[in-house]
Amino acid sequence: MSSVPMEMKDGAVSSSKWLDAHYDPVANLYTFSSCIALADLHGDGENKLVVGDLGTGASNMKLKVYRGTGLLSENTLLDLPTGLVSFLMDQHEPRTPAIAVASGPFIYIYKNLRPYFKFTLPTLEVNPLEQDVWSQAREDMIDPMTLKEMLEGIRDKAEIPLSVRSLRFLMLEPQDMEPYVNLHKQQPIRRQTVITCIGTLKKNMADEDAVSCLVIGTESQEVYILDPEAFTILSKMSLPSVPTLMDVTGQFDVEFRITIACRNGNIYILRRDSPKPKYCIELSSHPVGLVRMGKNVVVGCAQETLHGYTQKGKKLWTTYLPAPVTTMAVLDLPTRGFQAVLVALASCEVHVYRDKNLVSTIKTPDVVTSICFGRYGREDGTLIMTTKGGGLIVKILKRTAVFDERDSAPGPPIAQSIRLNVPKKTKLYVDQTMRERENAVAMHRAFQMDLSRMRLAAARAYVKALESSLTPMSASLTEPLKMNAVVQGLGPTFKLTLNIQNTAASRPVMNLAISFLYDENLYSMKTAFFKIPLLVPGLNYPIDTFVECLSDKGISDIIKVFVLREGKSAPLLTAHINMPVSEGLALN
Amino acid sequence: MESTKSPTTSLDSIAHCKICTLSCYLLFFVCMVLYCLSALLYCCTIVLSTLCLCAPWSLEERCFVSLCTLYIAEMTIKTTLTLTLTLIYLCVPVSAPELPILERRNWLIHLHYIRKDYETCKAIIKEQLQETQGMCEYAVYVQALILRLEGKIQQSLELFQSCAILNPTSSDNLKQVARSLFLLGKHKAAIEVYNEAARLNQKDWEISHNLGVCYIYTKDFKSAEEQLNLALQLNKHDMTYMMLGKIYLLEGDTEKAIEIYKKAVEFSSENTELLTTLGLLYMQLGKYQKAFEHLGNALTYDPNNYKAILAAGSMMQTHGDFDVAMNKYRVAAFTVPESPPLWNNIGMCFFGKKKYVAAISCLKRANYLSPFDWKILYNLGLVHLTMQQYASAFHFLSAAINLQPRMGELYMLLAVALTNLDDVDNARRSYEQAIQLDTSNPLVNLNFAVLLYNQGDKKAALQQYQEMEKKVNMLVESNSNTEFDPELIEMAQKMGAALQAGENLFWSKPGKESKNSQHSSSNKAASSQQPLGTNQALGQAMSSAAGYSKSIRLATEPEPDVESAPSPPTEPPGEAEAEDDVEEAVEPPKAKEKKKSKPKAVAE
Repeated sequence: MSSVPMEMKDGAVSSSKWLDAHYDPVANLYTFSSCIALADLHGDGENKLVVGDLGTGASNMKLKVYRGTGLLSENTLLDLPTGLVSFLMDQHEPRTPAIAVASGPFIYIYKNLRPYFKFTLPTLEVNPLEQDVWSQAREDMIDPMTLKEMLEGIRDKAEIPLSVRSLRFLMLEPQDMEPYVNLHKQQPIRRQTVITCIGTLKKNMADEDAVSCLVIGTESQEVYILDPEAFTILSKMSLPSVPTLMDVTGQFDVEFRITIACRNGNIYILRRDSPKPKYCIELSSHPVGLVRMGKNVVVGCAQETLHGYTQKGKKLWTTYLPAPVTTMAVLDLPTRGFQAVLVALASCEVHVYRDKNLVSTIKTPDVVTSICFGRYGREDGTLIMTTKGGGLIVKILKRTAVFDERDSAPGPPIAQSIRLNVPKKTKLYVDQTMRERENAVAMHRAFQMDLSRMRLAAARAYVKALESSLTPMSASLTEPLKMNAVVQGLGPTFKLTLNIQNTAASRPVMNLAISFLYDENLYSMKTAFFKIPLLVPGLNYPIDTFVECLSDKGISDIIKVFVLREGKSAPLLTAHINMPVSEGLALN
Repeated sequence: MESTKSPTTSLDSIAHCKICTLSCYLLFFVCMVLYCLSALLYCCTIVLSTLCLCAPWSLEERCFVSLCTLYIAEMTIKTTLTLTLTLIYLCVPVSAPELPILERRNWLIHLHYIRKDYETCKAIIKEQLQETQGMCEYAVYVQALILRLEGKIQQSLELFQSCAILNPTSSDNLKQVARSLFLLGKHKAAIEVYNEAARLNQKDWEISHNLGVCYIYTKDFKSAEEQLNLALQLNKHDMTYMMLGKIYLLEGDTEKAIEIYKKAVEFSSENTELLTTLGLLYMQLGKYQKAFEHLGNALTYDPNNYKAILAAGSMMQTHGDFDVAMNKYRVAAFTVPESPPLWNNIGMCFFGKKKYVAAISCLKRANYLSPFDWKILYNLGLVHLTMQQYASAFHFLSAAINLQPRMGELYMLLAVALTNLDDVDNARRSYEQAIQLDTSNPLVNLNFAVLLYNQGDKKAALQQYQEMEKKVNMLVESNSNTEFDPELIEMAQKMGAALQAGENLFWSKPGKESKNSQHSSSNKAASSQQPLGTNQALGQAMSSAAGYSKSIRLATEPEPDVESAPSPPTEPPGEAEAEDDVEEAVEPPKAKEKKKSKPKAVAE
């Protein structure tokens, strides 16, 4: 009686390494892995979950803090959060980390969940030519049309792109230009950029609770490192493309390495004292997830692959994934010395990879869009995921869970043991075979004989048809015609449509007539003979006529149609029309 | 305590904000001053008007003056009010609305795009384009990419072109324009745009690679090779190797292609596609050892690789390793259950295991799946010959000949079937045709000789026997390792004895040697007739796997003169002769052997 439930329970237990701590399918969270952090915000030894929620994508952006299974606090954000990190900005006791939320061109720093400081990205250099042109406009030295021409000239040549104002001006209709210029000409021109990714870098100590600098990547293809206390720019580096994902390791004052995945599908590795990337990894598709495992970089690509690279950009391995990657995170258990990569897939699964080997799979109720592993509350191995539908999943790694180190490449695939679908030999088959063996010669001869006869019969019928023009295709060279007939209606009156076409290349056909042959007891036709007009080559001539069925017995017959040429008794074409049974009479 | 330490940068960063607020304050101040002045003036006029009332004038005069002053006061206050209002009205729009940064949602668009969440992505793009009036270059770019993925290439091309207008210095935009042109089949235009992009960005492997691919399509292999090599110099990618290999294959330079694929495998040792292609190329060259090595590697990394399974399986079949091959085929049959070559190979596996009925059902399935594949028909004919179902064999073989009229072996098998169907005249004509078409297979001549001998035409038989010896010599000369099927040798010796051919001794020697070697390496592939059998299986694997199959090449050959060929299927059988097989006492075993020897050939 209890055997089945026991079995089920065993199966569930052995297959899962995780405890389901919390699942809220309607947590209403729209966020990404970059906007999630776990931090001990109050210094009470209990880690909270900080989420930068994108709201609807246009409004209702929130900074949410979860504690346990409940929402602790909510702060409204002004713009979409791009990234969120928690970091220690000073040595003051108690050592509570600050939260930095990157959003647009600003970084909002929160301390104790209160707004503390706002950092604005430095403005970009403005094209001096553009500046000149606008100052001329301000002095009313040039009219809007000239301004437009000059700006266009600058846009096509200059290395420094135009500011938003100029770009917008160029898109305007001529009548809107004047007020636009008047509106904006007094303001100084500014070019701003936005933050695309954010990370932290330890300042000068490798400790867990050391002061960290902020590292930010911007849309202007630059990377800034900010001082944690004064928020001055400590270092500035430039990239060949826009950064999207970053991973930072090392210490600012000693040596560091910033691995940055860029929008052009390349990964660049920056090091201290080099304003340009040191190494470059060119991927064949866009990187979706970037994670560092020890000294190697693991990249999940849009092409459903997972690559491992050394920190110098040498390819180590490639694994093919069953579905597209949505996000990635690192699973780090320093107490057990275990490190793995969590790869969330579009197939509602999270795979755990250790190097290239799949060590575990977690099934989720929805597609995971953000993932984070770390200490939550007082539990070290907590996995936090949010789903596409806005759900929040919290799972705890069992302390007894063991990730098998074995190479998970299965031996022979299961399909190898599936029997081939080959039909059994039947008695009938055996009998037929025996018969053929015994009478092969006779069978062969009979077949060949019949084949020849059939060919002969076919050839005769063909010749006959050709000779008596019984076909609906005319074989004569002077009148190459084609005809088909359509019968419409339920009866007793039918509409007979003959489609006649002259298939000659250029010559028209004249002097043709059509006549019908039918059983006069069964059918009647107003005109059983009429002339047809000149047929221009290539055109289709539909000719309609009506046939009335006289019989009420539900029988039908064939009506023969002949296309005739004046002065010739043999028809050019013949068509046999199988008339349908008249249903109209049956109703009467 | 912490907040006292106000950071210095904050002042800098908001400095420019203060400028606008300052002007606002100034304006407000001016307005206030004006208003105060007017109020003062108003008070003065009221005082004045009261004073006027006390003035020693007439009543009318006093009233008039005081009313005037009051009127003036009111007017002044009104004018000042309107003045301040107009001032405010004039000044407020000076602090123009903040223009949103065009790129502010780019990261979000990108994030959704790479996660393949195209619906959300499109919604964000739409919003962003509305906000920026279509000026956000990246949004347009991603929209074009998505459109292209949805198959709307023309639309995407237009969008990419508008991107290129927004930012003419970006090589990315040009690259995508070219890519869309390429997908539309406008290779020449694509090449032009790629060249333009290459001017903007010299060191981009993608441009070089795609240029190479374009050149392949325009049949300019030399430029293509150049560009692809350039791409490899810039950065190594599997795709580039693939394309370069393809060029050499298109040029017919298999050696060079192998060279390239070897390098590719060195670079990316786990790419099963590269491994399989290399394996198949080696197989084409007859280097079975190396081919097997690479195919085996491919199978280790991806045990479900269909191409590799077929190719490796056919090689195992060649070596008589039917059970292992069957194991592999089971995997393939699970993934690709409707592959004609696969079922053909499975059928031949069963044939090798002497399970003829299963073989026939598998081959018939293959034939059902691909009715115009002459190789399957050939095998079907062969199996039926073995089963002594000569009438069926005749049909399959004649169907095969109709599809492939240039293969000597087919005519030979047909002749065997016809011999057994008592149609000696046609059998003879079929043999003649076979000899005409075939130049290397001694089996054809031997079989013909047997037939002629049985017919009593010793002279012609002797001639055929000599022909056969010539072919054997040729084979031995060209490749000293050639081994012959022992049955063939035995048969030939018997035939030689029957014809009292003087060259008997000469023939027996290599025969015996080969026999020994055959024993020593019984499961090694070889023998002159091997190609007949193996090529069937291998050729099959090739045809589907590599795409440069023999059958394709054969199909492109000009149609042979069908009229001249004595195509038996169209001919009526000769007059039924009541005579039985006129065979001498010595002959029956021969005749049997003769039949058997051929099926074997294909089984291997």
